[in-house]
Amino acid sequence: MERLNVLICDDDTAIVDALEIYLKQEGYGVEKAYTGTQALQALSEHEIHLILLDIMMPELDGLSATIRIREDRNIPIIIISAKSEDTDKIAGLNFGADDYVTKPFNPLELMARVKSQMRRYTALGSIALKNGILKTGGLELDREGKEVRVDGEIIRLTPIEYGIVVFLMENMGHVFSIAQIYEQVWNEPSYAAENTVAVHIRRIREKIEINPREPKYLKVVWGIGYKIEKY
Amino acid sequence: MDIKLRNISYSSGAKLLAIIIVWLGFLGTMGGCILWLDNRQAANASSYTETYSFQSTFSRTLYNTVEYYLAVPDEDNTENTAGDSASEDDNWPQVNPIDDRFPTMVNFVYYVRNTETGQWWSNLDAEETDPIGFIQKQPSTVFFNGRTSDGNIAIMEDIKGLITDRPYEVYAAVAEPLQPGDAFYDYYVDFNRSKVLSQTASTVSIISFFLMALAFIYLIYITLLRDPEEIKTQRPVRLYTDVHTLLVAIAAVLSLTIGVRTSMGIPDIVTFVFLAIVLSLDIFIGLFYVLSMAEQIKTGQIFTNSLIYKLGSVLKGFLRLAFQGKVFKVWMLILLGGYGFINGLLFILCEQSYYGFINGNFLFMVLLLIAFNAGVVYFIARSLVALPQIMEAVKEISAGNLDYPLDSAIIPVSLSAFAEDIHSLQGGLKKAVAIAVKGERMKTDLITNVSHDLKTPLTSIINYVDLLKKEKLENERAAEYVNVLEEKSDRLKQLIEDLVEASKASSGNLTITGEKVDLHELIMQACGEYEAKIQQAQLALHINTADETIAVRGDGRHMWRIAENLLSNVVKYSMPHTRVYIDIASDDGYGSFTIKNISAFPLNISPEQLTERFVRGDESRSTDGSGLGLSIAQSLTTLQGGEFQLEIDGDLFKVTTALPLWTEE
Repeated sequence: MERLNVLICDDDTAIVDALEIYLKQEGYGVEKAYTGTQALQALSEHEIHLILLDIMMPELDGLSATIRIREDRNIPIIIISAKSEDTDKIAGLNFGADDYVTKPFNPLELMARVKSQMRRYTALGSIALKNGILKTGGLELDREGKEVRVDGEIIRLTPIEYGIVVFLMENMGHVFSIAQIYEQVWNEPSYAAENTVAVHIRRIREKIEINPREPKYLKVVWGIGYKIEKY
Repeated sequence: MDIKLRNISYSSGAKLLAIIIVWLGFLGTMGGCILWLDNRQAANASSYTETYSFQSTFSRTLYNTVEYYLAVPDEDNTENTAGDSASEDDNWPQVNPIDDRFPTMVNFVYYVRNTETGQWWSNLDAEETDPIGFIQKQPSTVFFNGRTSDGNIAIMEDIKGLITDRPYEVYAAVAEPLQPGDAFYDYYVDFNRSKVLSQTASTVSIISFFLMALAFIYLIYITLLRDPEEIKTQRPVRLYTDVHTLLVAIAAVLSLTIGVRTSMGIPDIVTFVFLAIVLSLDIFIGLFYVLSMAEQIKTGQIFTNSLIYKLGSVLKGFLRLAFQGKVFKVWMLILLGGYGFINGLLFILCEQSYYGFINGNFLFMVLLLIAFNAGVVYFIARSLVALPQIMEAVKEISAGNLDYPLDSAIIPVSLSAFAEDIHSLQGGLKKAVAIAVKGERMKTDLITNVSHDLKTPLTSIINYVDLLKKEKLENERAAEYVNVLEEKSDRLKQLIEDLVEASKASSGNLTITGEKVDLHELIMQACGEYEAKIQQAQLALHINTADETIAVRGDGRHMWRIAENLLSNVVKYSMPHTRVYIDIASDDGYGSFTIKNISAFPLNISPEQLTERFVRGDESRSTDGSGLGLSIAQSLTTLQGGEFQLEIDGDLFKVTTALPLWTEE
C-alpha cells in the first residue's frame, strides 16, 4: 500500500516536531509547514492525504487556508487550535474542516482522529453497503451480522449495549429519555432510581468514541436524553 | 445715506418735535371734539328750523297767538255772534295789538280763519293777496284745523286741543328772509355760526388726530429700532410695568372724571385752559408710558420687569429653598399654619357676611373660600400626581432599569429637588455599571487571551512528556519525575480551562439558552457518567426523587457542568464507605437537587470562602483540581436565574442547586 502523507502546519516548531514523531510512529509520511502560505505550497508540491492545521499563524491564518484548500481539494482537514470557544469550532467546521481539536490535546486522541479521518478518506466507499446496514459518519450497524463498526473497525459490545445502539441507530437523530430506552431495550417498565441505562451508554461511548467526553456519534442531551447523531 | 437718515431720524430734535406734535395734536383732537360736541345739534341739523330752540319758541309763540285769538273770543261768543264782518276791525281790537303782545316776534307770521263765518285774523300786510300761499312757501310752515294738521314743524298737541271740534284753521310760519329783532333771528344767526364752528372743529380734530398718530407711530418706530443694550444702559432702572400700568389707569380715570365734571357747564375760557392742562398732563403720561412699554418690549423686559413676576420668582425661589433639605419640615409647618389661618379667616368672613354683620357679599366670600381651597388642592394634587412617577422611577432603578426616564416637566417645584437627586443617582449608577461591565469584559478578554498563549507551550510540554515516557529510561527516578511532570501538566491544562470558564461564568460572558431540563434525567445521566468513579471512591449513591417530572428552565450543558463539578467534588473529597444522597425536589416555583456527602477531611473553611476562592485567591489550594469547581457551579446557577446554597454541618457537606421551574408559555 502506498504511503499516506500528512501535512502538519503550525507556527510552533516544537509542536510540529512532536507531531511528526507521533505520525511517523503510526507509519505516515510527514510534510511540515509553518505558515498558511507554506501549507498551500506544500500541498501543491507533494501528494498529501490529510492536513493538521493551526488557526493562529502568520501570513495566512488557518481558516483562510482552509477556504483556499477547499476550493479544489477534498482531503481531510483537522484543525488544531488553542481557541476553544464554541464559536471558533463552529466557524472552523463551517469553513470546511472535518474535525476540530483544541490545544492542549492528548497526542493519542489526535492520532486516533487522524486514523479515523484517513480511513474514511482512503476507503472512499469501497465497502459496498449491504442490506440491513445503517450508517452515520464512520459508525456502521450491520443488523444481519450483528456487528457495529467504527471507521471499519469492529467494536465489541455486550448484548444490552448492542440493543441500545440498534434502538438509537434505528431512530437516528431522535432523542430518547432513559425511561424510553429502558422500556424499549429491556422490554419491561422502568422504575425510579435506575441509572443502568446511563452507565451502559457511557460504556458504549467509551468504546465507539475517540473522546468520550466530546462524543461524535452517541450524544448526551443533558436533562432530556440521548441520541445518535445523523451525519 | 442710510446711516445719515438713521442719525437724523434718531436725533433728539426730531424726537422733541414729534413729542410736541403729539401733544398739540392731542390737544387739537380733544379740543375739536369738545367744540364739535357742544355744537353737535347744529352739526346734525340741515337747517336752523330743525333746532330744538327754534322749534320750541315757534310752538310757544303759536300757542300764545291761537290762545289769544280763539280762546278769549270764545268766551265772548255770545256778545260777538251778532257782529257783522264790517265791524270786524272795531269788534276785534285785538288784531292790531298783536304787535304789542309779541313785539319781539317780528318774523312770525300767522293767518287764522273761521271756516263757518269766513272771519280771519293775520299779522301779514293787508296788501298780501295770498296770505295762505305766502305762509305755505316758508320752510317753517304749519297748518292745522280741528281735525288734521300739516307742516314742517312739530307742534305741541295742546295747541291743537284749543280748536278741537271748532271751525277754525290756522296757518303760521317764520317768514324769510328774517329780519333782526326777535329770537328767531338770533337762532338763525347762532345756527349759522355753530354750523361753521362744528365743521371747523371736526376738521381740526381729524387733522390733529392724524398728525398725532403719525408722530406717535414715528416715536414707537424709532424706539423699536433702537439697540436693546443701549436702552438698558440708558435707563437701567424702571418702574415695574404692572405698577406703571396701574398708575396710568388711575390717572386716566381721574382725568376723565375731572374732564366730565368740568365740561358739564357752559364752557368758558377758564374751563378750557384747565382742561388743556389736564389733557396735556394725560398725553405726556400716556406717551411716556407707551414709549417705556415699547422699549421694554424691545429689551424683552415687558414681563420680567413686573412686580408680579418679581414677586412670583422670589416666591418660587423661596419655595424651592423651603423644600430643599433641612428647612423642609419647618416650612411645611409654617405653610400648614398659614393654610389653616387663611381658611379660618375666610370662613369667619363668610359667616359674618351671611348674617350681615359686615358689609360684604356672602356669595363672593364663599367663592373666595372655594377658590382658595381649590388652589391649595391643585398645588397638593400636582405634588401627589408626581410622587407615583418618582416612586415608579426609583422602583425601576432598583430593579436595574437605569434608563427609565423621569419626566421633569410634570414634577412640581416642591419635588423638583428630589427628582433631580434621583436623576443624578440614576446617572451615577449607570456610570458605575458601565465601568463594572467594561472591567469584567476586559478581565475575561485578558484571561482568554492569556490562556491562548499558555495553551500553545503547554501542548508541547504534554506532547514531549508523553514522548519522554515512551523512551526507555535507564534511571528509575527519571521515570518517576516524568510521571510527576505528566500529572502536573494535566493539572495545568485543567487549571487553564477552569480559569477561562470561571472568568466567563462570573462575568456573565456566556450564552445561556432557556431549555426544558428534566432534573431526574439530568441526575441519572450525570450519575451514569460518574458511576465508575463513585465505585472507585467506594461510595454508595442514593437518589431520592419526590416527583420524576420536575423540569426546570435552564441550559442543559451548563446544568451538566454544575452536576459534573459537584459530583467531581463528591468523588474527590468524600470519606470512603459513606453514602452520598441526591434529593430532587420542587418548592415554591423552584426545582432543585441537593447533594449531601461526608467529607473525608475536616472542613475548616466557610461556605463563602469555598465559592469565592477564585476571587479571594489567598486560601490554600487543594492538591487535586483547580478549586474553581464550586465557584463555577455557583456562577452558572446564578446566570441561569437560580440559587446555589452551600451548607457545612460538621463533616456533612450539603449543596443545593435550585432553578426556576419550567413553565409552558
